[in-house]
Amino acid sequence: MAERKVLVADDEIHIVHVVTIKLRNNGYEVISAENGDDAFALACEEKPDIIVTDFQMPGMTGVELVRKLRQNETTKDIPVIMLTARGFAVEDKEKEELEISELLSKPFSPKELLRSIEDILYQRKVMQNK
Amino acid sequence: MKSVRSLYVIVTSVAAGSLFAAGFAGLYYSGAGEGLCSAGYAFAASACCFAAAAGVVWLGWHWLRLVRGITSITQQLGEKQSSCIKPSNNKIINELSEEINKHFDGNSSYIEELEKQVKDLQLKIQLLRRQKGNTDAIIYGIRDAVIVIDEFDKLLMANEAAGRLFNFDYKSSQHKLVSELVSSEKAKAGENEFVDFLCQSRQNKVRHTRREIVFSNEGKSRIFDCIVSCIYDEEEQVCGIVAVLHDVTREKEISQMKDDFVNHVSHELKTPLASISAYSEMLVDGEANDEQTRKEFYAVIQSQAKRLNRLIEDILNISRIESGLIKVEKKPVSLTILIEEQLQMIRSYAEEKHVEIIGQKPIVFDQVYADKDMISQVIVNLLSNAVKYTPCGGSIKIETEVDEIAGLARVSITDTGVGIPKDEIEHIFDKFYRVDANKNQAEGTGLGLNLVKQIVEKVHNGRVFVTSEPGIGSIFGFEMPLATAEAIKV
Repeated sequence: MAERKVLVADDEIHIVHVVTIKLRNNGYEVISAENGDDAFALACEEKPDIIVTDFQMPGMTGVELVRKLRQNETTKDIPVIMLTARGFAVEDKEKEELEISELLSKPFSPKELLRSIEDILYQRKVMQNK
Repeated sequence: MKSVRSLYVIVTSVAAGSLFAAGFAGLYYSGAGEGLCSAGYAFAASACCFAAAAGVVWLGWHWLRLVRGITSITQQLGEKQSSCIKPSNNKIINELSEEINKHFDGNSSYIEELEKQVKDLQLKIQLLRRQKGNTDAIIYGIRDAVIVIDEFDKLLMANEAAGRLFNFDYKSSQHKLVSELVSSEKAKAGENEFVDFLCQSRQNKVRHTRREIVFSNEGKSRIFDCIVSCIYDEEEQVCGIVAVLHDVTREKEISQMKDDFVNHVSHELKTPLASISAYSEMLVDGEANDEQTRKEFYAVIQSQAKRLNRLIEDILNISRIESGLIKVEKKPVSLTILIEEQLQMIRSYAEEKHVEIIGQKPIVFDQVYADKDMISQVIVNLLSNAVKYTPCGGSIKIETEVDEIAGLARVSITDTGVGIPKDEIEHIFDKFYRVDANKNQAEGTGLGLNLVKQIVEKVHNGRVFVTSEPGIGSIFGFEMPLATAEAIKV
């Protein structure tokens, strides 16, 4: 079975680093970006299975990145998990509209993040097989 | 009255005279008459005439007394000397006087009652005038805009703030339609909404209604909290409206700033906390496979804990300065000595990064009247920023100048660092502001420069300055008053 690919976008290098290690230890291929623009370019090029993005990043914010992903034919169906250090950063309506699969508050648990990624990818696989 | 009396005298005299004459004529003819019978008749007629004449005289005299009595009463009434008519010898006049006196007595108590009521009313008018004066003083004295209109939407009263807000002369606009005053042809955004709000409040007859209305003029917006109260008459019908408009723009801005600050603080505190939490969980779960990785994880936890501590310290310091609660101990201190002390601390960090530090030339008199610890913090923040954002091989130059004419000491720190883009330079001293492009050059709280600004400008009446060119470098610095005798006294 091919390695599942995760794109991690966060301007905090320590967060990118720890998520990368956690996911690699669990059999994922990880690509990373430090800002929204780079993340979008990488998503178009690499077509990851799932994207983990921070809410607040220099330049394009996490929400703007997801909106742009949804408007692009090649990236519109990629599931997204958003990390946020701000309470109530994304309204429920916006979360639904942008089809954000999961919203995780910082500080977050890498274990919990891994579980969320696995759940989302599993559900997606089930849906595709139907 | 005299002519009436004369007329009575004349008429009575003439009538009595005529009757006497008739009596004498009767007597004369009875003597000359022929028969005893006719003489007897003439005598009887003469006697009747005398009796009638005497009756006329008596009547005349009686009428004269009556006329005199009435004249006296009329005079007394006319003179208004007293409410009591004097008694008279004449019974009829006496009765009349008594009746009039009774009437007077009844009237005088009524008049007394009326006079009392008039006095009460005068007092009430005085009181109302005083109350109106107080109300006017309150309305004209308050900063909120106040508009009072009647049931026909015409202006009864407005204060200066209302005149200024809606641009009309508040002193000479009484009885003009409020819609004409407030919402003119060139109505600013919000004015029509305000007039509609007044109409709705009147229609709904609600005692108090409240709405926030944004008034915009020439690109500037101000938010007003509008409270409209209806005034009711005895039949519970709306007979007027009082509108009070309180400017809440500043309150809203402060509230927004507070929310932004809390959001920023939350974000900035949670970011290092997220790293600490994630890395420690990885260590506990045995995800760090080798010693090298474990050491790396410990180092991250340590550095993020320090970052968290710095953040908390900076937030507390800024908060203390802003609230005026910080203890400031000012005394004359030499800037050169302070810079030297801080350079000792920063030199090893600069050497690590291979950044050259070009020191200052000694200055004879560079004493400022300042809190030593606070100014040391300012110098160390500026120096460490310069080292942080200057790449390997770069240099930092510190200069101190004294402008004796202006009475100022100026410190400039010039680096050959990454620089700041033009459009971001105005925000560089804002809380939590970090230049996006340089964010990953070094760790920072985004509070260091704000703290510098607060200490220099708020605590020491100085000024901070910055010039920068991306890729070339930046000059950060501050100036503050020299420790002259006057400054120390102040």
